Formats: sequence, C-alpha cells, structure tokens
Amino acid sequence: MLPSRSRLSVLVFLIPPLALYCIAVLFPILQSLFLSFFEWDGISDLQFVGVENYVHMFTGDTVFWRAFFNALGYLFICLVLQLGGGLVVASLLTSLRRGREFVKTLYLLPAVISTVAIAFLFARIYSSDPVGLLNQVLQWVGLGDLARPWLSDVNTVLAAVSIPEGWRFTGLYVLIIYAALIAVPAELEEAARLDGANAWRIFTKIRFPYIRPVWITTVIMATTYALRGFDIPYLLTNGGPGQSSELLTTYMYKTAFTSTNYGYASSISVFIVVECLVAVGLIFVLLRRKADA
Amino acid sequence: MTTQLTRPAPSPTATAAPRRPVRRRRRPNIYRSLNGVIIAVIVVVQVYPLAWLFLTSVRTEHDFTTGNPFALPTSFTLDNYARAFGTGNLGLNILNSFIVTMGANILIVILGMMAAYAIQVLGFRFSRAVRGLFLIGIIVPVQIALVPLFIDYSSVNLLDTYQSMIIPLAGFALPMSVYLFSSFFEYIPRETYEAASLDGAGPYRIFGQITFPLSVNTIVTVVLVNSIFIWNDFIFANTFVLSDGLKTIPLGLQNYIGAMGKVDWTATFAAVCVTITPLLLVFLVLNKAMRYGLESGATKG
Repeated sequence: MLPSRSRLSVLVFLIPPLALYCIAVLFPILQSLFLSFFEWDGISDLQFVGVENYVHMFTGDTVFWRAFFNALGYLFICLVLQLGGGLVVASLLTSLRRGREFVKTLYLLPAVISTVAIAFLFARIYSSDPVGLLNQVLQWVGLGDLARPWLSDVNTVLAAVSIPEGWRFTGLYVLIIYAALIAVPAELEEAARLDGANAWRIFTKIRFPYIRPVWITTVIMATTYALRGFDIPYLLTNGGPGQSSELLTTYMYKTAFTSTNYGYASSISVFIVVECLVAVGLIFVLLRRKADA
Repeated sequence: MTTQLTRPAPSPTATAAPRRPVRRRRRPNIYRSLNGVIIAVIVVVQVYPLAWLFLTSVRTEHDFTTGNPFALPTSFTLDNYARAFGTGNLGLNILNSFIVTMGANILIVILGMMAAYAIQVLGFRFSRAVRGLFLIGIIVPVQIALVPLFIDYSSVNLLDTYQSMIIPLAGFALPMSVYLFSSFFEYIPRETYEAASLDGAGPYRIFGQITFPLSVNTIVTVVLVNSIFIWNDFIFANTFVLSDGLKTIPLGLQNYIGAMGKVDWTATFAAVCVTITPLLLVFLVLNKAMRYGLESGATKG
C-alpha cells in the first residue's frame, strides 16, 4: 500500500474502470437476468411471466435442446483440434532443431484473420458446385464417392462449421503449450531416459504432469471460447439446414433480433453464462482432483 | 520406478551431463526427420488455405472459373483489387475499424492500468473482492450483453455510433487488461514507491512518472493482443451498426456478396486480402511481442 494514498485517490483511479465494466458487462448481466422473467418484443409493455421462459426452454423447446447438443458437438470438435492438435504440434516442435519460431508464426497466422474472411474461405473450401477444395482433394486421392456439399448435408454440417473455429486458434494453443513444454527442466527428462523410460512414458509421467497448471488454463480458455462460438456458424450456415448447425448462441441471436423475443432470448443467454460457469467449475474439479491423485 | 519418475532425485543431473553424446547416438535420426515431415505437412494444411486465398486474388476471373481453381495461377492480374475497391467501401471500412480499434485500445490500456494501480499499488480494503469481480469478466460470454445493450443504446440514442462498438469491446477486454497490468505491477519493487513517496510524490505523480513509464512493454502486449480481437470483431458491429458509413471491415466484407448479387470470388478474395493486410503486417513485424503477449495472457492466468 502506498503510504501517501488517500481515499480520494483510490476512488479517482477505481471509479472510471469500474464504471465502464459495470456499463458493458455487469449491468447487462443483471439486466438479462431481469428480462428473462418477462415477455417483451421491444415495443409493447413488459409482461411479467415468472419462470415461464425457463420452463418452456427446458421442457417445451426442441430447438433449444437441439442447439444445446449441437453446441456440445461444436465444443468437442474445437477441443480436439485446439488442445489435442495443440499438444501434438507443440510436442513435435520441441524436437525440431531449427525453424521453431518460423513454424509458430505460420501457425498463428489464421488467428489474426477476421471470421468473416474465414467464413468466405471455408464456404469455398466446402462447396460442391463449383467444386471446392475439399471435394477436389477427395477426388485426387480416390475418395470421390465421399464428395458432397459439406455445408448443406445435415450429417456433416456441424463438423464443417466447427472445424474452421478449431483451425483458427490451434496456433494460439500450440504457442501456449509449447512455452510450457520448454520450461520442463531438461534434467528431469534426462534422468527418466537414463532410467530407461521411453518417449511415451516421459510424456505421460514427466512432461504432462509438469505442464498441468497451464493445461488447466488452456482447457478453460478453449472451452469458454468454444461455448461462446458464434461468428463462423452464423456466417456459414446461419444454423441451417434446418437446425442441424444451430448453436445456443446463434439461436439466442435469432430469437432476439429476428423474432424480437427479448425475454426468451435473455433466458437463453443467462443459460449460456451459467453453462460457462458450470464448465469452468467442472474443469477445475476434474483436473484438480486428478492432479492430487 | 513410477515414484522415481514422478519425483526424480536431483542427483542424476551430475551424471547426465557427460552422457549426453551417448543419448544422441542412441536416438535414431529417423524420428527427428519424421517429426520434421509431420510438422511440414501440418504447416501446409494450416497455411495452404491462406496461400490459396492470396493466389486467387491475383488471378483472372476467367482462369479461376474455367481452369482448375486450386492449381497455380496461369495469369497474374491486379484487376480484382481495382474491382474490390470499386464496388465496396473498403477505404471507409478500414478507417472505421481503425477508429474503433484505437478507441477501444485507449480505454482498455488507460482504464486497465488505473484499475490495476488502485488494486495492486494503492490497495484498499475490498481490493481482493474488486479484483475477483474483474476476473469473473474473463469467462463471461459476450452474447449476454447483446440484448441489454441494444435496448439501452436505443433508449439513449447510441445505436449506430462508434461508441456503441467501443464500449462493449473495451468492457469485455478490460478484465484481462486489469489482470495483466496487476500481475506486472507486482514486479515493481515496493521500495521504488516508498522512495518516491518520501520525496513527496503523491499517488497521481507516482502513476504518471513511475508506473506508466515502466509499463510500456505491458502496454504493447495488451494493445497487440486486443487489437486482433477488436479489429476482427463481428458480433458487436453486426448488432449495433446499421448505416454503411460506420461499417467496420468484417461488416464491409459481409456485404460484399450481397452487393454484387452473384459472388465475384476473385474480387471478394482481393478485398479479404486488403483487409487482413494491416493486421498481418503488424503481426509479422511485432510477432515476437504479440506471441509473448498471447503466451503470458494464458500462462499467468
């Protein structure tokens, strides 16, 4: 604590940032919570409906559940690509002698590109008429039978909208996990190797336990980012065809700004926040407990 | 053996050093080259779409539609760029993105530093609680703010302004900024402040003459990391902005397809290339600082 501080100076420094944070983040959360108990189209009067929005959401709305499970699928694909891919590439990188910086830079490139540009790019990669990149490659390797319009096939569309999001940020996780991996003391690995441990054992018994704190952080980052994923599905398919690529976020957006049902949209967004908090709590509980065992 | 592996004694270090050459010989080079090949393949998969984006933007439309669109271009033209600038409002979009990015960054840096200064340096009774309050913001999804802000903006006539984008962008980035600044301030020795206090400097002077100048590196980090997200923001811009004059790059790009009816892919890709260039240049020039920022954002979290 600064000896010469005064109560006034604390307030002078604290009030402006707190004000912005309240206006942009805290107050809207409370407002959503409030609105979620009403029915409102933005024009007529607010109509108090109690918990009816939530009851409808959980028991009567099939689209909501569809979107919820789609969001879980989206989350799963993003986690596999970002964390699984990130861990594999970062591990490979540590064994590379030269060009590590260069590879990391290349890998991070997609992260600086706007989602709209990425959506354009992938629209063209997935398309079947004109023949897109993916279908072309499949033909070249003799799997032409598998070629299809990836974004209008109900079986593939969810994966097709999840992959760009996973692809985009893989480099970020490579970067973070790599930084953690090179911090593992070389002596530890050396000692294990002398004891006859193979590469897999070194990885599972030394490297991975050592980077666990960073791993927990990356799991939390990747999970919360994937749960709020919106741009790419919205731009590529807008949830379609039907509801096959509808996520909770896109459903919420449409409920609010297409059907102007602000009350119901607010209950969905409250659910998204709760979902994020629960996910973070679960990650802590699961990964921490394993760390203790 | 397991216990030995998880909790290795410090002694092997001494014996390990002289044996290092042995290990290198024992480990076959095939693994290393195999790793190299795998990395190369992954990098190609990762980068090819971007290279293709660029190549498409410099080939003629005829070549793109009639030839194999994925082969190397047989022609080179800058026509697409002319069309891209002719049809859209690219210049204006870039300017708007620039204004929003600057505005939000100024708020994020100054307010983030102020909050961190109050919490970490000045200290007060509820500083831990306030810090916690800010930290919650890191995991709150931005979608929660869309409906409330839309309603609030329309009641105070803020819809369709730069501020309507800047406020939520800055607000949601503030927690991470507060966090990075306060973890940096922890490293500034207390003696520095005490000495300055003894010399009669008050909290404002210390902020301006000690804390601020020392934080330049952290400021660069915070600005770079946030710029990526703000420059590319789609959701707030798409929700709060309606008029063409205020559209940022992501919205400008989105309108491309609509404006031309039939999709003019080569020109669209040219426009994409133009809009990603500013950020890409910054990224390539400052990529070390940016990578450091992205790393520290997570590893200190």
